Amino acid sequence: MARSEIMLQRTKRYKKMVLFPLIASIMLILGPALILQLYLSFNYYSIYSEGWWASEWYALDIFSDVVSDSRFHIAIVRSLGFALASTIGCFVIGFGLALLMYKNFRLQWFYYIIFIIPMLTVPIVIAYTAEMILYQKGPLNGILSSIVGRDMLIMWITNPDIALFTVVLMEVWNWAPFSFIIMMAGLASLPKEPVEAAQILGASRFKIFYEIQLPLLRPIIVLALVLRFLEAMAEFPKTWAIFQGGPGTATETIPVLIYLNTWYYFDWSKAAAMSYIVMMMMVVIILAAIKILQKENKRITQAQAS
Amino acid sequence: MTKTQKQNLDNVIRYTLLTIWLLIVLFPLFWIVATSFKPDKDWLAWPPVYWSEEPTMSNYNNVWGGAMEHTETQYAQSVQKPFTALRNSTIISFISTFLSVSFGAFIAYGVSRYKVLSETRMFQLLMLRMVPPIVLVGPLSLYYTTIGLIDSLTGLIAIYFITTLPYAVWMTKSFIDEVPIELEQAAEIMGANRWTIITEVVFPVIRSGLLATFLFILILTWSEYLVAFILSKTDAVTLPVELAKYEGSSEGRVYGRQAALSVGITIPLIIVGITIRKHLARGFSFGMIRK
Repeated sequence: MARSEIMLQRTKRYKKMVLFPLIASIMLILGPALILQLYLSFNYYSIYSEGWWASEWYALDIFSDVVSDSRFHIAIVRSLGFALASTIGCFVIGFGLALLMYKNFRLQWFYYIIFIIPMLTVPIVIAYTAEMILYQKGPLNGILSSIVGRDMLIMWITNPDIALFTVVLMEVWNWAPFSFIIMMAGLASLPKEPVEAAQILGASRFKIFYEIQLPLLRPIIVLALVLRFLEAMAEFPKTWAIFQGGPGTATETIPVLIYLNTWYYFDWSKAAAMSYIVMMMMVVIILAAIKILQKENKRITQAQAS
Repeated sequence: MTKTQKQNLDNVIRYTLLTIWLLIVLFPLFWIVATSFKPDKDWLAWPPVYWSEEPTMSNYNNVWGGAMEHTETQYAQSVQKPFTALRNSTIISFISTFLSVSFGAFIAYGVSRYKVLSETRMFQLLMLRMVPPIVLVGPLSLYYTTIGLIDSLTGLIAIYFITTLPYAVWMTKSFIDEVPIELEQAAEIMGANRWTIITEVVFPVIRSGLLATFLFILILTWSEYLVAFILSKTDAVTLPVELAKYEGSSEGRVYGRQAALSVGITIPLIIVGITIRKHLARGFSFGMIRK
């Protein structure tokens, strides 16, 4: 047998060996849940039903109910806004810190270790700690008061105009390290020659950054933004633990709204229909993100190989 | 301005900015540690008490020492089982991570050497991670109730296994890609079969990478909240879910106890994370960043 033929056979055999269990476990664990989700979106199920199998056929009524629900629309906008704001916040701080730190200096290791701690902290712990710090007569307002010199009693948690911003702050504290480590790695892998050449030619620091470093970093910047945005869309523990969607509906993001509909209003079918729409929306966003990542990943691989 | 003056100014700005962020990072961490040593009258005091004048170990004794307190405030001890939660968290995260990394490594080997998954399929695999879990946990809990997996360790292990698989595959693939193919060819000439080559040549070469992948996924699984919160009731409660149970009916949140539990949950993760800090960028970027 020719060598290439042996290779082909091996590939086939290996493919069977790993793909079968992979597909089987996805089907076994997630398959039924996906089917149930679709089933519940068309059949009305409440806790008063005998069981989910005894729910009543509603055709498209549940979907049309969800699609026209303004609370759902607002939650989508709120989630996108939250994800966008926290992604930008994380990136600006993370990249800023990386720029200050990527050149070797004496205490670099020390700052690096401290700066990665937030993303190693359990998110639900961050939520409860934030509540301890942020309540109206809590330490953060205490510190702000002593800086300003008069009582600053900002209602971080109970003011509906501030609440979502508070969640963004928590998210940024938690995940700025993510952008930080990725941008540190990016800056460390930049070739030194173009920068040095530009310095010799007398280019200003700003010009070097803007015209040489930034374009070279583009694929990694895209990676840091896209991955963070997708994770922020799914954020639940920090939003839920303190606010449960409140005050009012100020922090009702998509995950919170789906949770409330399922376990507070016991409106399983509505939640399933919402989930289905959100899932489709996320799949579209993710496919777009994947396309971008696939393109940029090629550049990253090329840059790292050279 | 001379060059040294400029450099000094640079340094002053750098250290000032870095130290400001350092304080922002450290303050919440300090606060939670400080609260864990505070007696209950200091938890909500105004002006805030930064470090209690009468530090106490009672929070730790209560949470981790199993000390029962029958004072005027009874914190409903019966529903709080931190040791059960600790045991559950340990079993769930270690087993699901082990399954995910070992299976992931075999897939990764296939992808690296035989392209059993095309590049597009590899990216589609990321869906398992990127679709927000909230959209499926509801139906999943019904499914689990029907087949009797609700509130069971097995159920949580299964779901964590499948949702961390993308990380496992991508991260181990990034390590396997770096193993020179000549090593395997040499083993092949000596008559080793595929299984032996993978387990006795490839895996030993990348063992530090495998360990890093394992610890990285362990961090993610250990801190996961939403799925555990919904799929567990009493028997399969994990530590992050347990934390929410320190909430009295009349006295509100039991800050000191929560702080003591939080410190216990978080310290192992921070230690593990700092140990694998060189691999964190690789992990979080699905192995796309390799340095």
